[in-house]
Amino acid sequence: MQEIIRAENITFAYTRVPVLENISFTVHAGDYIGLIGPNGGGKTTLLKVLLGLQKGKGEISLFGTPLAKFTGWNKIGYLAQKSPVAQSRFPIGAEEVVLMGLPGRGAGVSRNELKEVYEAMQQTRTRKYAGRLFNDLSIGQQQRVLLARALVSKPQLLILDEPSTALDAQSREMFFDLLGELNTKHHTTILLITHDTGEVGKYISKFMYVDKSLVFFGTKEEFCHSAAVAQKLGPFAQHTIDHLHNTHGHCPLGASCKECHHD
Amino acid sequence: MIEFLSYGFVQRGLLAGSLVAASCALLGVFLVLKRLSLIGDGMSHVCLTGVAVALLTSTSPVYMSIPVVMAASLVIMKLTQKFKIYGDAAIGIVSAAGLSIGLLITALAGGFNTDLLGYLFGSILTVTPGETVLCGVLLAVVAGGIGMFYRLLVATCFDESFAHTRGVPTQMVNTALVLVTSVAVVLSFKVVGIFLISALIIIPPVSALLVSRTFKQVLWLAASFGVASVWLGVYGSFVLNIPSGAAIILVNLICLFACYVWSRGVSRG
Repeated sequence: MQEIIRAENITFAYTRVPVLENISFTVHAGDYIGLIGPNGGGKTTLLKVLLGLQKGKGEISLFGTPLAKFTGWNKIGYLAQKSPVAQSRFPIGAEEVVLMGLPGRGAGVSRNELKEVYEAMQQTRTRKYAGRLFNDLSIGQQQRVLLARALVSKPQLLILDEPSTALDAQSREMFFDLLGELNTKHHTTILLITHDTGEVGKYISKFMYVDKSLVFFGTKEEFCHSAAVAQKLGPFAQHTIDHLHNTHGHCPLGASCKECHHD
Repeated sequence: MIEFLSYGFVQRGLLAGSLVAASCALLGVFLVLKRLSLIGDGMSHVCLTGVAVALLTSTSPVYMSIPVVMAASLVIMKLTQKFKIYGDAAIGIVSAAGLSIGLLITALAGGFNTDLLGYLFGSILTVTPGETVLCGVLLAVVAGGIGMFYRLLVATCFDESFAHTRGVPTQMVNTALVLVTSVAVVLSFKVVGIFLISALIIIPPVSALLVSRTFKQVLWLAASFGVASVWLGVYGSFVLNIPSGAAIILVNLICLFACYVWSRGVSRG
């Protein structure tokens, strides 16, 4: 199976205290990974290092190419934790924001590009915001427009940093259904930071637990029975697993879960 | 008015002023949105070092200041990137250094009296033909650069991290932006004077941002406001016998106020 991300011995420090230490893992095509961990555990930093936004130590390859030589950025869609502009006067329309996800330099926009932009906006149910200023939209609406921007180039890898925090319940469900569809139908690889294991539990295939170092990386089944997770989380381990199990009143692992099907 | 325009030096001053005001306004749109607008203020203070060295060595203040200010702008960028100093603090440090070195050279040379005052407060009517050509080249570079790399510039301004993940060389874009701004700042000090250069970079874009709905509209309006302020300011200074640099900035301030009133009216309506 194709390696999408290979990270070897990633170490990073903002000051002298390391935020990430010797993290190694491989993400394969079609994986849907939930990246979890405590606040300040280095999840966002790890994503930034993987994308070259922060320069860390270690080796990173994207789609088999070392990060320093990687040019296939159209294969990657990225959605950051926070909306990029706090200024109230940035004069840019929602569709112009989505257009940023496509390659191109000049001021002109082709019909094909517009078609792709509107398709992505349709996918995230933001077509109705076309023609409106980005800053006139609510944070949740902005987040959906930014998801359209991440999707517009039809990426093979989606990297999302807590994308659902500003969304209402309905939008959140639509959002995760869309991600699930992209993963199952289009084999889009997804790496998603989340604090809500219950919310994403039914969609993801693997968990990655980062708290400065890589505590756990494996399937949901392995996560539920991991001694490393139990040791790291202590009394909260069972809470996290319970939360994962209680999503929408049923176990997301289905018949494969020994906790639910031990009889 | 016709008599006023019949003088060659007035025509040259207006042409150079228009070219440089349009360049400053266009660059200013990106600097204001990136919250780097005070970089113009910092660079203008560094101009004093270039001017002082030029007057001391009897060379052209404009040509002497360009490399000095470009170097200073790169120092500001390095301070913010490598040493993690906030942008406004880095601008303050370089600005203070430029001003103090300029004043030191001036004092050691025994002062330059009227020559230096001309650069501090502007003397648009003394612009040379060579400098006018340089102003034309500057506007061609600025407008051409924006036309060719419009999306990269807007993306870098709007969301630098995302632009980076699209393969946009954001570092290069930022460096190009401040280097071209350095040249614009130097060419502006004859138009409005060292003390008022930053106003040409900040006020027209801020006025345009108040009344525009699209990015392209902001660019067109900011450039138009800048050019109009030069014409009205120079004419006003001729009629009222007041300094042209100050008159240009006053026109800009009136425009800003009018835009503010207009935007309030639109948002209420």
